[in-house]
Amino acid sequence: MPDGSFAHPQQRQFNPYTDNGGTILAIAGADFTVIAGDTRQSEGYSIQTRYAPKVFRLTDRAVLAVNGFAADGNMFVKKVKQRLEWYRHAHAKDMPLRAIARLIQTMLYAQRFFPYYVYNILGGIEEDGTGAVYSFDPVGSYEREACRAAGAAQSLVQPFLDNQIYFKNQKAAAGQTHPTHLPLSDVLSIVIDSFTSATERHIEVGDGLEIFVVVTKGHSPQGLESIRNVQEVTTRADTDRMFVIRRELKKD
Amino acid sequence: MEEALEQPQLRVFLHPLLHPALLPVSYPRDIRPTWSSIMEYNGGSVIAMVGKDCVAIASDLRLGNQALGISSNFTKIFPMTNRIFLGLPGLATDVTTLKETFRYRVNMYTIKEEREIEPETFAHLVSSTLYERRFGPYFIEPVMAGLQKAADGSLKPYIAATDLIGCLNFAKDFVVAGTASSKLFGVAEGLWEPDLGPEDLFETISQTLLNAVDRDAYSGWGAEVYVLTKDKVIKRTLKGRMD
Repeated sequence: MPDGSFAHPQQRQFNPYTDNGGTILAIAGADFTVIAGDTRQSEGYSIQTRYAPKVFRLTDRAVLAVNGFAADGNMFVKKVKQRLEWYRHAHAKDMPLRAIARLIQTMLYAQRFFPYYVYNILGGIEEDGTGAVYSFDPVGSYEREACRAAGAAQSLVQPFLDNQIYFKNQKAAAGQTHPTHLPLSDVLSIVIDSFTSATERHIEVGDGLEIFVVVTKGHSPQGLESIRNVQEVTTRADTDRMFVIRRELKKD
Repeated sequence: MEEALEQPQLRVFLHPLLHPALLPVSYPRDIRPTWSSIMEYNGGSVIAMVGKDCVAIASDLRLGNQALGISSNFTKIFPMTNRIFLGLPGLATDVTTLKETFRYRVNMYTIKEEREIEPETFAHLVSSTLYERRFGPYFIEPVMAGLQKAADGSLKPYIAATDLIGCLNFAKDFVVAGTASSKLFGVAEGLWEPDLGPEDLFETISQTLLNAVDRDAYSGWGAEVYVLTKDKVIKRTLKGRMD
């Protein structure tokens, strides 16, 4: 016990990190991307809040999900948004998705020896109009993928996605192949099922679910408007369209 | 003010040669094997599921020495009676010991009672056998599946699992254990549904196991699946990823 005396050796410690739980997930389609996260924020066995968003709109066609240490996550999103604003002022256009991905890598690696304790998943529409997902580790190593889960329930959700999105361990019917991209309605069902499953078995997941959907300009939103609790958050006409779907998850 | 700087820590050692008295003074405390690493020493996973008038139990076939794969035909599921199957994921040496212990105890039960043991009774036998070793446990988390004879003579699906000291978990849907347990929970929670017939149950448990162990470095290397119905037991050996 540190008591300020010089009689015996003393040790003091400060841990600058904590794990705030929660899970995020993103799936890319042919002409859309779905980025989702639960809204519970916890520390140990305590729930700090039932609504702390982890998924953020960056541009008209880019969404960033952050999971891990919430304070680092919020600060990181703030700094990414700031860099994107500077880019807009310099170039009079939004930064393309693959450039945002590279920017995030450099910003994370800049903190190589005192990292943001955050797992990032970036989703949106690429310049060629295809849906894209980029996933990062805390020091900036990244990869473009079709789907990725991260956070507290990654180990529960990722193998389920391997099976349902990549059709791993499944054989296509004779003379047929597995689709490389699923329709939006199937993807949304898989996302919602993933989170209800994770909520059932993981104490750090639950309360609420926030799903961002980005659909390529000129492509049909595939019946999205008729879905319950959907809100369009597109800011300008003649751009890619963005929607938010909010659902309740179990609170126990 | 005097206070102990270091608390003595309870640790279980993997090998007698790692006894503190035999360790060099400089051996770093933190790299000694601990509780959790014993459960992950050989790797392996088991899952059991309930269906409509049927049950299934499945396991991987890997035996490892930490990250090194040793065998791809190490079976972890054993028949206890014609309608009870027991899965034993955990420390491989204890798999062998417990398999023989339960064979002995089930035989003794059969002789004394002059009838076959029922799954529910067997689950309590497993529980009490493990609790006998409460303070020096076998490093096994058993999973069992069986068909229980009801009062009207029909057979009712029964699954159960325990922790390594015998705390029973009698679930209505599915039970999992082993190094891929969190992955098994995630996939099973997504794929399982009530009242699956034998063939659908086989597909569900196989997909759950295969996709879970593919994300676990300590499990995999093939799998075997048992489906128990009222008139037959189907055993299938599955090919899986071998990496």
